[in-house]
Amino acid sequence: MDLNLLIPLIGALALSSAIGALLTRENFYSSLYMSLTMLFIAGIYAFYNLQPSVVLITLVFVGAVGVVTIAIAATYRAQNSRKISYFWAIIVALFSAILILQFPPPFGYGMLGNGIGFLNTYLMATLFLVALMILIMLSTIKILREVER
Amino acid sequence: MIELGLSLLIALVAFLITISAKDIVRLLIGLELMFGGVFLAIVPLFAKIPDTAFAILVVAIFTSSAELLILISAIVILDRLKKGIEIQKVSVGGDSD
Repeated sequence: MDLNLLIPLIGALALSSAIGALLTRENFYSSLYMSLTMLFIAGIYAFYNLQPSVVLITLVFVGAVGVVTIAIAATYRAQNSRKISYFWAIIVALFSAILILQFPPPFGYGMLGNGIGFLNTYLMATLFLVALMILIMLSTIKILREVER
Repeated sequence: MIELGLSLLIALVAFLITISAKDIVRLLIGLELMFGGVFLAIVPLFAKIPDTAFAILVVAIFTSSAELLILISAIVILDRLKKGIEIQKVSVGGDSD
């Protein structure tokens, strides 16, 4: 099997999951489809051997934010949580068709991943980003406690 | 550059999810998918400037995660204050009853 065909295949699966998130009526299934899309996007990074990016997307984005979103969607289960605007759907479909016609897929450019080396060099900056997230979440918890009173 | 086209298509689907949302959870799902499109758009950068591309990806993942976690907290707060998470309950600016 030609390995270059894997990218369009994973891309088609990612796009199908995204469309599934749009078409499903329940938030819970929509969030599951969204997490699946993110995993396929991480799969494209994995194809190019960019493992640090795969770990970051899978653990931080899907593992933390995605799981919390699934939990929230499971808590607030609305039966009819979307109303698709067909006008905008037609415009998006037209734009997508033009995009697909204008961008034929050229394959085979090499990726130069050096993520672990980057993390070693900029360890302090990464730690600051983690600290920023923790600080933001602490302030949110403080606001949440004030609302509870 | 198939990833760039794919990222645009995913961002467009996410845009449709966002404008068709009737509650804020669906809006959150649309925004997360948009960030997925953004992550995919960074892939071609790895061919030319891998270190910078990885730096952009790390910053994008952490800032978007923090932003979305704030939105999740906002959903919980909105539910407690307005007894519901429908889009209609969100007033302009969020400061009027």
